[in-house]
Amino acid sequence: MLRASLRGLLQHKVRLILTALAVVLGVGFVSGTYILTDSINNAFEGLFKQISAGVAVEVQGTPKFTASGPDQQFGNGAQRVPASLLDAIQAVPGVRDAEGTLNGYAQLVDAHGKAVTTGGAPTLGVSWISDPSLSSVKIRQGRAPAAAGEIAIDAGTATKFGFHVGQPVTVLVEGPSIHATIVGIFGFGSANNLLGATLVAFVPEQAQTALKGGGEWDSVSVAADPGVSPTVLRDRIQQVLPSGFEARTGAEQAQANSDDLKKNLSFITVALLIFAGIALFVGAFIIFNTFATLVAQRTRELALLRALGASGAQVRRSVLLEATVFGSIASLVGLGFGYLMAIGLHGAFSAFGATLPSGSLQVVPRTIIVSIVVGLGTTLAASAIPAFRAAGVPPIAALRDPEPGAYRPSGRRTVFGLLVTAAGVALLLLGLFGHPSNAGAIVGFGAAVVFFGVTILSPLFARPVARVLGAPLRTVAGRLARENAMRNPKRTSSTAAALMIGLAMVAFVAIFASSIKASARQTLEQTLKADYIVTTSQFTGFSQDVATQLRATGAFSAVSPIRQGSFGYRGQSQSLQGVDPATLPEVVHVPMSSGSVADLGDGDVLVYSKTASDNHWTVGQSIPVVFASTGAQRLRIVGIYTDNRLLGSFLVSLPTFERNYTQQLDQVVLAKIAPGVSSEQAKRAVQSVTKKFPNVQVQDQAEFRESQASQIDRVLALFIVLLVFSIIIAVFGIMNTLFLSIYERTREIGLLRAVGMARRQVRSMVRWEGTIVAVFGALLGTVVGVFFGWAMVHALKDSGVTIFSVPIGLLVTFVVLAGLAGLLAGLVPAWIAGRRNVLEAIATE
Amino acid sequence: MEASTAPEAHAAPQRPDSAAARAVDLVKVYGSGDAAVRALDGISADFEAARFTAIMGPSGSGKSTLLHCMAGLDAPTSGHVFIGDVDITTLSEKKLTQLRRDRIGFVFQAYNLVPTLTASENITLPMDIAGRTPDTEWVDGVIDTIGLRDRLKHRPTELSGGQQQRVAAARALASRPQIIFADEPTGNLDSRASGELLAFLRRAVDEFGQTIVMVTHDATAASFADRVVFLSDGQAVDELLGPTAETVLDRMKSLGAP
Repeated sequence: MLRASLRGLLQHKVRLILTALAVVLGVGFVSGTYILTDSINNAFEGLFKQISAGVAVEVQGTPKFTASGPDQQFGNGAQRVPASLLDAIQAVPGVRDAEGTLNGYAQLVDAHGKAVTTGGAPTLGVSWISDPSLSSVKIRQGRAPAAAGEIAIDAGTATKFGFHVGQPVTVLVEGPSIHATIVGIFGFGSANNLLGATLVAFVPEQAQTALKGGGEWDSVSVAADPGVSPTVLRDRIQQVLPSGFEARTGAEQAQANSDDLKKNLSFITVALLIFAGIALFVGAFIIFNTFATLVAQRTRELALLRALGASGAQVRRSVLLEATVFGSIASLVGLGFGYLMAIGLHGAFSAFGATLPSGSLQVVPRTIIVSIVVGLGTTLAASAIPAFRAAGVPPIAALRDPEPGAYRPSGRRTVFGLLVTAAGVALLLLGLFGHPSNAGAIVGFGAAVVFFGVTILSPLFARPVARVLGAPLRTVAGRLARENAMRNPKRTSSTAAALMIGLAMVAFVAIFASSIKASARQTLEQTLKADYIVTTSQFTGFSQDVATQLRATGAFSAVSPIRQGSFGYRGQSQSLQGVDPATLPEVVHVPMSSGSVADLGDGDVLVYSKTASDNHWTVGQSIPVVFASTGAQRLRIVGIYTDNRLLGSFLVSLPTFERNYTQQLDQVVLAKIAPGVSSEQAKRAVQSVTKKFPNVQVQDQAEFRESQASQIDRVLALFIVLLVFSIIIAVFGIMNTLFLSIYERTREIGLLRAVGMARRQVRSMVRWEGTIVAVFGALLGTVVGVFFGWAMVHALKDSGVTIFSVPIGLLVTFVVLAGLAGLLAGLVPAWIAGRRNVLEAIATE
Repeated sequence: MEASTAPEAHAAPQRPDSAAARAVDLVKVYGSGDAAVRALDGISADFEAARFTAIMGPSGSGKSTLLHCMAGLDAPTSGHVFIGDVDITTLSEKKLTQLRRDRIGFVFQAYNLVPTLTASENITLPMDIAGRTPDTEWVDGVIDTIGLRDRLKHRPTELSGGQQQRVAAARALASRPQIIFADEPTGNLDSRASGELLAFLRRAVDEFGQTIVMVTHDATAASFADRVVFLSDGQAVDELLGPTAETVLDRMKSLGAP
């Protein structure tokens, strides 16, 4: 039995290789993701250990509330360490040295007057640590900064932007820009920079002013006297700390840092694994197809085995054994492919400016196990139905002609397909609208079930759709292609299903992106009254001087800054905006259901209506909040507004913001042209200011909308690239089916050739068949994708996605491209079909 | 085997002026070295226009190989094949395909029809492939002759074996080829269906002046022909004019088992 199984497997090499590619790509995606993220984690773990090697104890404030999601950039509410405490720590016996660390915003301006930007990583200013054992960095060129006006920068930034020792530069900070000279270039162990961030190190005194330290430190690093263990020192220091501060050993701190990073990176891992999962899911359809047809083709052979006394169970085991051998080999190859992919992705990260610390690629046992389990599991699951079908082959089939009967749509299939689809839709809607705890998983599972349901139903409309699609084909080759595509609706459907999934996902993200764009556009049109919007390209925040100088030009009737910060409410992090109540209504339309923006005084807050009703808040009520630097406070609700799309859910006045936050960067400045000032004059005024602040960009409404849209388009493009994997697998599937088609129709093709069909016509026939199958799949996918998009957009109504927009032109393009992919998939099978020996058709056996 | 529609004795064949097809010193070797098989061993034969010629011979005598080489389906190792004045052994693959399409008709033993096309679409297939408009009057005449007018919209799977072969024969005739090659066309048919098909081929020769060359191992089938060429070991060893089933069988016995 074993020998028969393996022989059977090897009989159809091309088809198996194509099928194996489906597994290889899917498993490669999974293992590549793990290898990459494990390697990054490992490298950073090493780096953090190296960095904190000389730090015996680290002191910092305890977090006051949990930061989550996008609010993380605004801190977790940990209190900073006052200078007095640093003195107290230095006095603890066993402390050899203690230095404060400080991080803040600082952005270098390059020789051409342009502010250096990163691919999203922060531009940081830090306080230089003079004790080398406490420092995370090592000078590579020049020397450490020793006085105000001297800075050191990281080697990555120096190389990338061409800075050198001795160069005078401008540094943009929260306050007035600083003119300084680069005296040193440093590295982080072997790494040139930290995940692509740019770093500027000042001497502590200048750091305090430039980074708005206010006499406080983010943390204090402590070096121990010889013979004093870190744990002993930690406990001693903890004794002198007031509540709200904690001491950790250097090792504990390194572990905490690397855990934080892992948590942040886990988002990337999950996102990549989702795309890998889609690719595998698509691959499962191809595997199913291949094994189903292998079984169908070998009906006689299997029947002969049965006639010779093999039991149904033996036949089934033989098919499953084939699948096991096949799945194991393909998974191992996929693991190797994943390794290559990790190398490629590593390179891609570097290309985007985030130089990762070098280290060997990590292939941990978990990666190997998951790859094989996933690859083998997918293969076995997909071949289960064919295996049971094989067991059902009666011995008498050995004597019968294997001519398959004509396909008839069955009522049972219709009912079953409709039930499965309905179940999938129900799960999807439950996940989107029912607010269950694991919404993501339910939505994903629901989507998969919808795909199964549509696949079950699709043979019912494979025939009519193929007829309509093929109707414009007037040539004999085209007509025959159409008939061939309609001949085996089940196979056409399961082949098309693979492409359907890819196209559905692509259509879904395209619709989602388009809806976000349309909604954002509408939001801006309905709420934004400003003529100019000042931001930075990376939304990093910028100096208040920009607003001050814009006001000074006199060209604007209103210049209204908006700042962003987070606070704790019942232990959870919330974000708020600091606004200027006097000018805000001039630049933003704020619809109020009670109170007015002008009422917003110091210590007051305006709340979004839904947030207020969810929390049963009313005007006049005081709510308890926690700020990082000032601790527990109360804010009095003085008004409720009904549109949170632009402003978020909490508004406080700038004085309140300034009292409660240490960092005072404007996130956005909105400006309205004064009456009587021409747009030309305004533009000149804007340019005179932005010349001095290379990091900010000033856009009018149209430009701002455009830049918002192009950001969304970039994300869309990235998603589509990730989905291309699934589509490639689906194209392999089409190729596979076409090989099968021409193999089954050897005699028919020979007959056509004998009666005078040219090779060119045969090729065209096969290519058209591929195209019809592909377009069929693409159309199904588009329909499903439009539904997914519709559901998603409606689920996100409260998050500001208010318009359901279908990019018809784009979707049509996708379908056309899918058709082209089908045609491409047909190239090789078509060529082979054209080369077929005419005699094979008529040779009597 | 008894043919239900045994042919009347036809007029004694006359030597035609020119051959519709000729084989000249045809050699076909399969394989090489020790395994080489000479399927055709220097065979020469003429097939007259407007005649029905049968090729007979024991298994392995090379009769099918001869037909395949004559029809441009297989390339001979050496020698020449003329269809009319054209030496097809010198033609490119493309020209050969065109020649098959425009000047040759085929009827095979099995798998003669494209299953996705209806009977009438199968009949006009060579013309459709060529992009030519069929001569409707002629095609109608052919269809009436095969007597399947009411089954034209049917797919091959809905037709009996005999009906399928008659459709195949109609297809061969429909494009008015210079010559029709039939490779054991009755091989899968019962005697009744065989008789109907052979009678149809006979009529094509008598009424339309069609040239037909048919390979068969059935003496009754051969008796419908004007002339029988006997092959043995890749050579033409004998021929018989105005054959009957009995004379064919006698001749076959002298050549060894059929």
